[in-house]
Amino acid sequence: MSDMWINMGPQHPMTHGLWNLRVHIDGEMILGVDPEMGYLHRGIEKISEDRHYNEVITLMDRTCYVAGMAWEHLYIQAAEKALGLEPPERAEWIRMMSEEFQRLASHIMWYAAFVQDLGLMSPFLYGMRDRDLILDLFQSYTGGRLTYEYMRVGGVRNDLPVGFNDRARKVLDWLEPRLVEYDRLCMGSDIFRRRCDDLGILKAADCVKHGVTGPMLRSAGSKRDIRKDRPYSRYAQVDFDVATAESADVTGRYLVRMEEMRQSIRILRQTLDWLDHHPGPVLADRLPRWLGAPYAPIGREAYLLKRNYPKGIGLSAIEEPHGEACAYVVNEGGEHPYRVKFRSPVFANLSAASQYLVGYHVADIPPIMGSVDVCVGEVDR
Amino acid sequence: MDADEVRAKLTGAGAPGILSVDPFPGVAARVRFSPDSAAPLFPIVRDALGFPHLSTVGGIDWVERYEVFYLLWSDTAKTYLLLSADLDAKAPHIETASSTWPSANWHEREAWELVGIGFDHHPDLRHLLMPDGYDFHPLQRAFKLHEPEELEVKVRHV
Amino acid sequence: MSAAQPTVPPATKPMAPAVGPGGQLPVLSPDVSFIEIEALRSQQFLPAAKEALSALVKEQAEGTLIRPLFNWAGRNSLFPLHWGLACCAIEFAAAFGARWDAERFGVVPRSSPRQCDLMIVNGTVTWKVAHKLVTLYEQMPEPKWVIAMGNCATGGGPFRTAYSVVPGVDKLVPVDVYIAGCPPRPEAMLDGILRLEELIRERGA
Repeated sequence: MSDMWINMGPQHPMTHGLWNLRVHIDGEMILGVDPEMGYLHRGIEKISEDRHYNEVITLMDRTCYVAGMAWEHLYIQAAEKALGLEPPERAEWIRMMSEEFQRLASHIMWYAAFVQDLGLMSPFLYGMRDRDLILDLFQSYTGGRLTYEYMRVGGVRNDLPVGFNDRARKVLDWLEPRLVEYDRLCMGSDIFRRRCDDLGILKAADCVKHGVTGPMLRSAGSKRDIRKDRPYSRYAQVDFDVATAESADVTGRYLVRMEEMRQSIRILRQTLDWLDHHPGPVLADRLPRWLGAPYAPIGREAYLLKRNYPKGIGLSAIEEPHGEACAYVVNEGGEHPYRVKFRSPVFANLSAASQYLVGYHVADIPPIMGSVDVCVGEVDR
Repeated sequence: MDADEVRAKLTGAGAPGILSVDPFPGVAARVRFSPDSAAPLFPIVRDALGFPHLSTVGGIDWVERYEVFYLLWSDTAKTYLLLSADLDAKAPHIETASSTWPSANWHEREAWELVGIGFDHHPDLRHLLMPDGYDFHPLQRAFKLHEPEELEVKVRHV
Repeated sequence: MSAAQPTVPPATKPMAPAVGPGGQLPVLSPDVSFIEIEALRSQQFLPAAKEALSALVKEQAEGTLIRPLFNWAGRNSLFPLHWGLACCAIEFAAAFGARWDAERFGVVPRSSPRQCDLMIVNGTVTWKVAHKLVTLYEQMPEPKWVIAMGNCATGGGPFRTAYSVVPGVDKLVPVDVYIAGCPPRPEAMLDGILRLEELIRERGA
């Protein structure tokens, strides 16, 4: 038998985005893989250097378009540390709530796309239906469905509208039994189990070695979750469990994400209860005037800004729906960040592709890559 | 884990080329080291200090010098550690970390491509995000962005 | 019919038209029947018949029957290429979900460009993917249309100044409909498809 290389991508139903998986095969057996990235490289880190601190938020929504709120939260934390600003308490809780709703929406989107790849059609329709309910909530307080531009350095743009908490609770009440339904559709399906069990195995030690984080790492039995290990925002004040599985395969990743959705609902209920009883400001007062996006300081103000404003480096890490995301923001004075560097979880998860693909068959690629939950926007940035 | 503990552990393990160990917001410490001693230092940081997970590798162009930083995570200490080294502005290069942390492979490819830092003995140093043959390093300060010019694209049929 | 009248070779003697059963000419129009039968006896039967038929299709049926039928069928069953470039692809997917159900307009995404007649460019186009986009466009059979969905495909959007981004997909392929928004909502995408249907009706396929 002779071996050969085939391209899966850039336009391929498996890829969920624009990237190319070059597969080295011998018959049906995978001998090696070489992911080819960069088809969506938009230079976000470079454009950020030409933007005001608040204008970078626009780019963050588009960096990971299924988890915009999480990336806004990541950047905002780093930018606030670099600038030495503190948000009000209520803004922190609203950010945490937004991130958890985003995690729910992102996981449901993953569920819809992943199960459709396996040939089961109805989960896509169910998933998109329920995801739209969460996007409606986002729309009611940010105005956007995917790209929100909601968080600001020093808080969030506006408070939640009247009656939001009750509407949010209704959505959670609707979603909770739906998760059981999802589970029954998949775990009760013989086709699903046969296509997912014992596929794409990556043990915890290999995950750490190759930088793999998020549900892929937790499906191998590790309890690493930045929300628990290094609590940011107000995660230390809410009660939740870290979802883990032992099998380290595609089914394990599925189970971890399903359990994470349940835990997100738990966190959200506690957050909404807190927000009920603690009104207050959501944007810090006495922010520097030049933080307003369309305003560029000139003359003496620019001179003072360059000389007097404290410099600093902000570093933040959050548990994004896909894994560990880090931001490194360098403030060298002035209204633009000097350098912005992001660590994307999917970037690292994809770089280890040869570890969990080699040795399986070509027909196993869609379920395995589906379980990685690739979002090309944040890989290429 | 704080800066003093990191310093004590590094000295105890005989780590070479440590320039300073300072406290740094958000991480246990920032360790500045000389780039010549990178090859022996990396395994010591991984094994003696217990940082098996490399989060990211990034480069910064400070015009008069380059800086390369490594963000590491320890599962036992539950904290981050920042390694950083200053590189020569003319020909910035440092020993690869991918023999110690395999996850550094792609991060170093990205840093080479976008910032222009060379990684010696890297197994596979080629373009990752930009097309092959792209000769610029966009994240260098000298590279400026501008409005796109009016252009006419000619599609060649083959 | 005058321009397309096939010339009968002079060596052939004109014959009387053959009469079908019931004394009627068994054809669509007297002109054509005459030529057809005339040529039947001659050596030039095949070229003449071919020419007559093509003239018939071109001037009569194509204008009144085949072309409108094709147009009607084509505009009501647009098959877009199934691919996702960036953020707009998520809204593209949402439009096929339960709430918007784009398939009721006959829009069914297909994974192979050979089966598609519509390319929806749903996201930022970079220079690295530019020639692959053109290849996919070339692989689609005629007639074909392009929708530039969102600000990035229209003119680069927020990434217009970036070093790697094509400032508008109309630099690469001809675009029929532009949809504004970053990203456009699913109903905006459906509106764009309906506009394209109008365009096809007016302009012809």
